[in-house]
Amino acid sequence: MSNAATVSTDVLIIGGGPSGLAVSIRLADILKQMGLNRRILLIEKGNAIGSHILSGAVIKPAVFGELLPDVGLEEIPFNSKITKDSMLLLSAKGCMKLPFHPPHMGNKGNYVASLGDVCRFLATKAEEKGVEIYSGFSVNEIIYSDGKVIGAKTIDTGVDHHGHHLENFQEGTTIEAKLTVFAEGARGSLTKQLINRFDLQQGKNPQIYSLGCKEVWSVPEGAIKPGEVYHTLGYPMNLREFGGGFIYGLTDNKVAVGLVVGLDFQDPTFDVHAAFQVWKTNPFIAKILKDGKLLEYGAKTLPEGGWYSLPKLVTDNALIVGDSAGFLTMPALKGVHLAIHSGMLAAETIAMALSKEDFSEEVLKTYETKVRDSIIYKEMRPVRNFRQGFAGGIIAGAFHFATQILTGGAGFFGRLKAHPDNVTTKKLTEYTAKPFCKRFKDKLDFDKTLTFDKVTDVYFSGATHDEQQIPHLHINNPATYESINIKEYGAPCSYFCPAEVYELHTDKSGHRELRIHAENCVHCKTCDIKEPGDGITWTTPNGGNGPEYKNM
Amino acid sequence: MALTIISLIKQVPLPAEMRMGEDGLMDRTKAKSIINIDCQFGLEAGLQLKKHYPDARMIVCSMGPFSFETALRTAISMGYDEAYLLSDRKLGGSDTYATGLALSSLIRHLGFTKDSKEPFVVFAGRQTSDGDTAHVPSQVAENLGIPQATFVETVKVDDHGNLVARRIIEGGYQLLQLPMPCVISLTPTGIPPRKPSLTGAIKARNSTINIVSADDVQIDATKVGLSGSPTIVANVVNIESDRPPVVLCEGQNEDELVGRFIANFSKGGNVLNKQEKEEKKAVETPDFPEVDNRNGAKGVLTWAEITNNSIARPSLELLTPARKLADELGADTKITTLLIGKKVEPLAQQLFEYGVDEVVLIEDDRLEEYLVLPFSDIIAQVIRERKPEIALFAATTAGRELAPRIGSKTGSGVTADCTGLEIGIYVNRKEKVINSPILHSRRPTYGESKLATILGFVYPQISTARAGTFEVPARVANRKGILSVFKPTLSDADFKVKILQTVRGEGGLQNLFDADIIVSGGRGATGDNLELVRQLAEALKAKGIKAEWACSRVVVDSGICEYARQIGQTGKTVRPKVYVAIGISGAIQHIAGIKESGKIVAIDHNPKASIFRHADFGIVGEYQDILPELIERVKNGFTFGIEAKSS
Repeated sequence: MSNAATVSTDVLIIGGGPSGLAVSIRLADILKQMGLNRRILLIEKGNAIGSHILSGAVIKPAVFGELLPDVGLEEIPFNSKITKDSMLLLSAKGCMKLPFHPPHMGNKGNYVASLGDVCRFLATKAEEKGVEIYSGFSVNEIIYSDGKVIGAKTIDTGVDHHGHHLENFQEGTTIEAKLTVFAEGARGSLTKQLINRFDLQQGKNPQIYSLGCKEVWSVPEGAIKPGEVYHTLGYPMNLREFGGGFIYGLTDNKVAVGLVVGLDFQDPTFDVHAAFQVWKTNPFIAKILKDGKLLEYGAKTLPEGGWYSLPKLVTDNALIVGDSAGFLTMPALKGVHLAIHSGMLAAETIAMALSKEDFSEEVLKTYETKVRDSIIYKEMRPVRNFRQGFAGGIIAGAFHFATQILTGGAGFFGRLKAHPDNVTTKKLTEYTAKPFCKRFKDKLDFDKTLTFDKVTDVYFSGATHDEQQIPHLHINNPATYESINIKEYGAPCSYFCPAEVYELHTDKSGHRELRIHAENCVHCKTCDIKEPGDGITWTTPNGGNGPEYKNM
Repeated sequence: MALTIISLIKQVPLPAEMRMGEDGLMDRTKAKSIINIDCQFGLEAGLQLKKHYPDARMIVCSMGPFSFETALRTAISMGYDEAYLLSDRKLGGSDTYATGLALSSLIRHLGFTKDSKEPFVVFAGRQTSDGDTAHVPSQVAENLGIPQATFVETVKVDDHGNLVARRIIEGGYQLLQLPMPCVISLTPTGIPPRKPSLTGAIKARNSTINIVSADDVQIDATKVGLSGSPTIVANVVNIESDRPPVVLCEGQNEDELVGRFIANFSKGGNVLNKQEKEEKKAVETPDFPEVDNRNGAKGVLTWAEITNNSIARPSLELLTPARKLADELGADTKITTLLIGKKVEPLAQQLFEYGVDEVVLIEDDRLEEYLVLPFSDIIAQVIRERKPEIALFAATTAGRELAPRIGSKTGSGVTADCTGLEIGIYVNRKEKVINSPILHSRRPTYGESKLATILGFVYPQISTARAGTFEVPARVANRKGILSVFKPTLSDADFKVKILQTVRGEGGLQNLFDADIIVSGGRGATGDNLELVRQLAEALKAKGIKAEWACSRVVVDSGICEYARQIGQTGKTVRPKVYVAIGISGAIQHIAGIKESGKIVAIDHNPKASIFRHADFGIVGEYQDILPELIERVKNGFTFGIEAKSS
């Protein structure tokens, strides 16, 4: 540490998504009003702001008026105002329009957008307000002193696979901060360490997640109108699998399509990417994409445990915001506005802490109080049991949801428990229903016109990783991996990973081993969430590595 | 005595081979710019040198539009302190000659000349991905009048404060001892550039980029920019890929993969549907008067490079275009070849037999090994005396640094790494004249994706010709020529750079030129030191096939096999019937060395590897799995469709 570079800041924000940017913008504004001059440093691991951002996205716009009161809604680079909004129930060949929207799913007044565009816009605003944004830098270590967070450190570069220093070795920069904001998005790797170290999930439900795969296409004129929005239920999921698809019409004859699937599925061979491809073969969707061209692909997880899965949001010198905490209204599948809200509330708390020069948990707890008094609570609390209700499948879920609506969210059973997604996966022998690969046997030969294999799709994510670095994916217990994860579960990661990172290789003699192609990783973190047993740990690779999303 | 380290960088569009997307369909990174890769290695070399001189002043310079600020800030975030951007509309359109002149003026403006008391080193990239000439470092050195080392991989410091540079040469490498000040250009095979640090990025954000104009550095405006440049780009056309899309095979294990590959191979692969191009309408040549600007310059001059006491093959190949040009210029045009070295007179007869009309012999004990300073001095002296209209050099590591250094002495433009040379005309519509005759030098550029035609207007017109492109001319036994001796004026300053060591293999394994099948291993096949690659070649040989094994540059660099087996990038161009690339990512230089092959088979674990875009057949998988299976199939009779020699 002696000769390593150190940077000091008042506030360090880890992550340049909507929540982190909202913290920075709101904080800069309040500090200015208070006449306080404080340094705000925001670090983003993507090559640029927006490179790692992926969302549907349908956005509730009201919050932008609060975050940027001087900016008109028309200045924000949303793609299109929603003009038509339908809910469809799909079967393999059919499509039925539901005559109503399930509660909380109406989209009147909302916009479809590329969240990457929105984030780039927010970053410009933040920089105008004096926030220092550095993208292309990974922080992979929280720095503690006396058991308290005092900042973070960027990754050492110039090391080989084993961590040995090469000639171009550079020790990471230590960033000392009075306050560190964790805004890493879903399943933040440092947030996970923070939550474990301070036991912030104690007494809460575990967080549970969905995985969304998304493609942006260019389609012939007239295939879909900008602002034309469809959400789908049903096919290709069965009644035990939670999820749905989306089709969002964009300007310039583009369309965003995607499938989001709850990661609490039991089938060890369930493949979300493949399900997404199968979903596209439904005639309604295939027709929209006909003669179109794939432009971009990406995948990302979203936290959907809801209110009961929110961890404690503060500890001494640190706060958690946005998806890292789990601010998302599940039935509506919307988190962007809540992420921004949480960032704004955190910023108000931070400003107060800065003025008092007191960053203790006692002071920062104001943030939790503010959340409870905010629209976040109003939106999340009534659906607090929503997602857990679907653990038993769609029919049970619908029943639970109906009772929850009648009882203001409580349902007949009070707080419903949730199980971490990696324990719901069943062993090959225990999963008695028809496994995924057999269910869609005749649909898994992708034609590279409408449907694509993972490798081709990953190509369209722009993912790259430096060759010289410690691989950023770790099998936690190599000793038991073969006997348990491969033998008993059939290496589920080789199915659920949407980027062909994990390959279960079988040689001629029948010996099977897991091979990790870390260079394909699109940073969705599903492996960290879903792999059973001792599982897999996702850590940050070198800065600037990962996907290169343009309009996701 | 504080050392100053000056790095010259250029910002370039992301090179074609690094862009994603097939057929440019999804060229979303079009707008993306990076620091030219070779220049990044130059930056790193400077930072490595700083380890020995912690107090060194770190300067980074560039020339170009204001947008180049981004690249300069990146250099600061890597560890540089001061940044200068020479930016002026007067400089727009400068060719390499003018660029070398401008950059050396900038360095002089910063207070660094060959007489500076304080030592300094100029680092640069070997060449840029959007120009590919490798001229500018030589020209900067010549304009500053200081020594140079180009094609350098690593730089160390000796006990006397001299630099020791490891320079790539055909057949191996050379250790050169250079005094300061000097210019060193780096190849992208040395120490990889570091990533920017956060502290560096913070410094870069707060740094000022010093913008300098042409007037500031006192450049003669008539010598730079479009009008001051001795060469122009007359024409650029796309090079159409003549290889159809790859046939990849899929399978659960190596047995299936190899089985399907063999099935694909037997079927014969994809066929390219070439669209017949519409005949271009012949542009009518206007009725302007013809002007011959040669002013008495006459004849074609070449230099015969000597390695291992014999004339290097590329210098013999050069005599093919030399003869063609001489014939096109008229029957009385002669080929004059310079033979420089220690006791090299016996080699003259060989040159006559390959078509040289006159050999100019320069013998001196100090000239036993090639060195850019004395050799460029000598050749420039001969050029001044003989006044040839064209001077040709083989585009070897020597030729590619020698030609631009000579060009800067004679004021000539230089065209690098040509694959086509012919005599034509230039319709000068501005002055309403036709310049004739004029040399048309054609060279691939932009990562081999375009073919540019370059014309030079200062005599001699200098070009270097890519090795392996032209055939060695037929040898005529006992053909006679004139042998004359030239006594150059040499000074001690010409011998400031010392060769400490030369390591050279046999310079080219003849078998590779004759092989029907070449099995070649790259970085991705080195897990077993290429053992499986060799075994595959051996298995084919055992079946009576003319097979040989080879490797890519990285493998030679890591010491696994000798240079003689290297394909591509200052290696060699091969034309086997089948080329099997194993664990080769497909760097553009390697592709250039193999694209004349009949069928290309690629095996690599990375489906995104660019080799697959240049191959006919591909297997995506680990070579350790695939090759044992493939070797077994060969043993059972699969020989890639090549029949065994009956002998």
